[in-house]
Amino acid sequence: VNDWIKPWFIFVFVCLACESGTLASDTALEKSPAKIAAVQAASDPLVVLANRLQSKLVKIYGAGGPKGLESYQSGFLVSDAGHVVTSWSTVLDVNAIRVVTHDGRKDDAEIVGMDPETEIAVIKMTRGDSSFFSLQDIDEPIVGNRVLGLSNLFGIATGDEAMSIQRGVIMAISPLSARRGRLKTLYQGRVLVLDVMTNNPGATGGAVVNLEGDLVGMLGKELRDDQSNIWLNYAVPADVVSSSVRRILEGKTNSPVRSQQLKIAQRPHRLPNLGIILIPDVLPKTPAYVDQIVPKSIAERSGLMANDLVLLLNDIRIESRRSLEESLATIDVADSFTLLVQRGQELVRLDVRP
Amino acid sequence: MTSIIHPRVRLLLSLAKDSIALYCAGRWFPTLVAIIAFSQLAFAETLSIPEPSPAVLESQTQRIRAIAKATQSTIGVFGVDGQGGGSGVIISADGYALTNFHVTEPFGNRMRCGLSTGEMFEAVIVGIDPTGDLALIKLYGSDSFPFATIADSNTVQAGQWCFAAGNPFVLATNLKPTVTWGIVSGVHRYQYPSGTILEYTDCIQTDAAINPGNSGGPLYNSHGDLIGINGRCSFEKRGRVNVGVGYAISTNQAQLFLGHLKSGRIVDHATLGFTVGSENGRVVVTNILETSDAYRRGLRYGDEILRLDQRDITSVNQLKNILGIYPTYSRLRLRYRQEQQTIDTWIRVAPLHSAEELQEIANGKPEEAPVEEEPDSTPQTIDDPLSDRFEKRNGFANYYFNRVELDRVLGLSGDASLWSKQTGDWHWSGKLRGEQSGWSVQLTKATIESTFGDENIRLDATRGWESAIESKSLHSSSLAVRLWQLWQTLGPRKMGESIYLGTTKMVDFDEMVDLTKVTAGEVEAYFYTAPDDGRVLLIEVEADSQLDRLEVYLDDYQKQADLKVPRSLRVVFGTETQFIVDLDPLVFAVQAGGGL
Repeated sequence: VNDWIKPWFIFVFVCLACESGTLASDTALEKSPAKIAAVQAASDPLVVLANRLQSKLVKIYGAGGPKGLESYQSGFLVSDAGHVVTSWSTVLDVNAIRVVTHDGRKDDAEIVGMDPETEIAVIKMTRGDSSFFSLQDIDEPIVGNRVLGLSNLFGIATGDEAMSIQRGVIMAISPLSARRGRLKTLYQGRVLVLDVMTNNPGATGGAVVNLEGDLVGMLGKELRDDQSNIWLNYAVPADVVSSSVRRILEGKTNSPVRSQQLKIAQRPHRLPNLGIILIPDVLPKTPAYVDQIVPKSIAERSGLMANDLVLLLNDIRIESRRSLEESLATIDVADSFTLLVQRGQELVRLDVRP
Repeated sequence: MTSIIHPRVRLLLSLAKDSIALYCAGRWFPTLVAIIAFSQLAFAETLSIPEPSPAVLESQTQRIRAIAKATQSTIGVFGVDGQGGGSGVIISADGYALTNFHVTEPFGNRMRCGLSTGEMFEAVIVGIDPTGDLALIKLYGSDSFPFATIADSNTVQAGQWCFAAGNPFVLATNLKPTVTWGIVSGVHRYQYPSGTILEYTDCIQTDAAINPGNSGGPLYNSHGDLIGINGRCSFEKRGRVNVGVGYAISTNQAQLFLGHLKSGRIVDHATLGFTVGSENGRVVVTNILETSDAYRRGLRYGDEILRLDQRDITSVNQLKNILGIYPTYSRLRLRYRQEQQTIDTWIRVAPLHSAEELQEIANGKPEEAPVEEEPDSTPQTIDDPLSDRFEKRNGFANYYFNRVELDRVLGLSGDASLWSKQTGDWHWSGKLRGEQSGWSVQLTKATIESTFGDENIRLDATRGWESAIESKSLHSSSLAVRLWQLWQTLGPRKMGESIYLGTTKMVDFDEMVDLTKVTAGEVEAYFYTAPDDGRVLLIEVEADSQLDRLEVYLDDYQKQADLKVPRSLRVVFGTETQFIVDLDPLVFAVQAGGGL
């Protein structure tokens, strides 16, 4: 409750000061009710905070559209070089990710890297901005803390329009894996469970902040418990975001783009030889989804299954069917390799031995 | 504030009392020690639980006060059979209340409203805005209804506390409104129309829980002043319950429509007559109707829109936001850039729908439908206490209120009976300001004679008006004088079909004025009258909706034998002043028909 009192105290003080006319600026203003209301609203600490944070937020547009898949989501700046943290999702499955900053300026962003375990992606705009969230010195959030959720849920804001702000309380801090098998998410670490309907379409990648405006977490994806039909509103804690971002920036998660220097093997692995049949290549970036596995093939022996989505090959990110084929071509037919696949809501690591 | 002893300490005190009494017997010293120790303990305990800061208590008190005040004017809206249910808010002591059109629509023209006191009141539909999802109803049964204080919604900002009151899920059987507290999540939001949901422009987004049944109910700021009418949520796959995103129609939009809704009409929204697109961050005209007022004011394809209604245009949504809060019959300030030139002008908006379209939207079915409904409603109206407060008429939600409003406008001046005696011939002359030449008008029953400088023409009392206005003839000013004569002496009802339209703003005149439309022979005349004394400020005459209207501003009113008479006229076509006449006193002929 303590962190709540402070801004309220300031708010009420300013209100009282406005009423009694002790603020110098007030004397210059007309005493119309509208003006007073405007002054009071402008001095409301949450209003000040909401305005201040807008410049750290971005709207992200990419792939999607049909079948209820949104083509937009939210993100926030974490460096003065234009690094943006967002949620790793199908929205990012495009060559040029469109980012719109608070002032309505459009920019293209590239994927720097992603962390499959936290489903966090870092993308980089072509230009930086002095306004960003610090990922240093993160305070441990406590259950009961008041927080604000800032996101472009439902894609309500476009251009230079301000992103939406919602207020809530951290209800629980708990591992998401407690719900494993019932909620569809790859991330199974600690999450901040919120009491406010934040996790709506397009909200993922949005910022959760405390009342000082410091980053507390990143809004997760939409999650529904299939049995109770209850939607979970949660955020990935800032310390998890921070370490994930650090690993991505240090290149420890996986190389963002397959290095061009890798030599093509003399006798490389090929999908038919492995017994993998992927879904047809119809998009610029068709995901590497396994359609079928040939019985008694290497793939079947290694435990690969139909409907698996290949995410990493030897820790190189596989962004499409084509990139899987290209990466396979660098491995000699006699060599083993590892795959990280998404199977339902789980991540499965497989050793493929010829 | 009195100090509060922590309950734990109080318990300890009561428990310790007996044992201390026992202990005291014959052992005064240890007793003293015990008492001192105990009192110190109690003191320490009291201190360690500090009172909440006065600021917190103050803000809590304010919150309680705001809710107590706001819930009084919040109503539940039901059908006459008690079925269904939405919310609403009373905005005047005589019982006018705002709600959503989609709330009143299933109830037709009659409803019942419940106040937080548990009392039920009969209510009747007044006016509807099907496009903007607003409806005005009137409660009967009291002349001192509690009503909401309306705040300026333009001062509302994201992050500000707010709360919704209403009847979500029609839960409150005792009619006490449910209050849901939250913050403003965004302002000036534009929401596209989708499916059956209407377009919401310039609206307020909140995370206060808005659920079915909250529709039409009020959104208040932390002081308990009305800032919006809740009406829509971002529902997608999650079903029709709160998802943390609710939208409220701003009170500024409601205020702009309020006068129109009071007219009992099916109120329409506006169109600019041109479309815009976004081009490198600029909002440019992508298409324009040559018949639009904007075109007549010089706007062309490719021009950049800079400001509308004194608000900067940075996106297409922003333009739609501004346009959406205005009813038709409005005139908006426009600033645009053409090549290197910045042009400021005023444009007249056109109705968004045709009369037939609007009727169809209001009915949800073709125009003929209401007639079929009549057998159903007839038995009900027999013992309906408000049956004399409803009049069906095409284009109206309730024509009864149009008569009420027109009566109000005509009653403002208080000198109608004096004017009604001046039905004889009129002669009026004056001088053109800044020029030597004269101007005069002579009005008889059959003719209108106009002198402008050396030129003298005679117009028929009813015919030939159209061509005079279409050709922008300077003599057409005499037609406006004739219309004013008829308005003053006969009253609009005897001039032709007269409809009170609502309140609107005039060019360079900030106050809202009453607007009445009179179909007089070949032309349509619009009378703008002052809200305080009903004097006519402006008469606009339209011969063809695709051409500029004749505008005659009546100014410098002076008393002339107990009658208020203007002493100057300003004649305008489009936005250009043609001339100003400084008038001599008006001369009334003693006998009718003779001339001077």
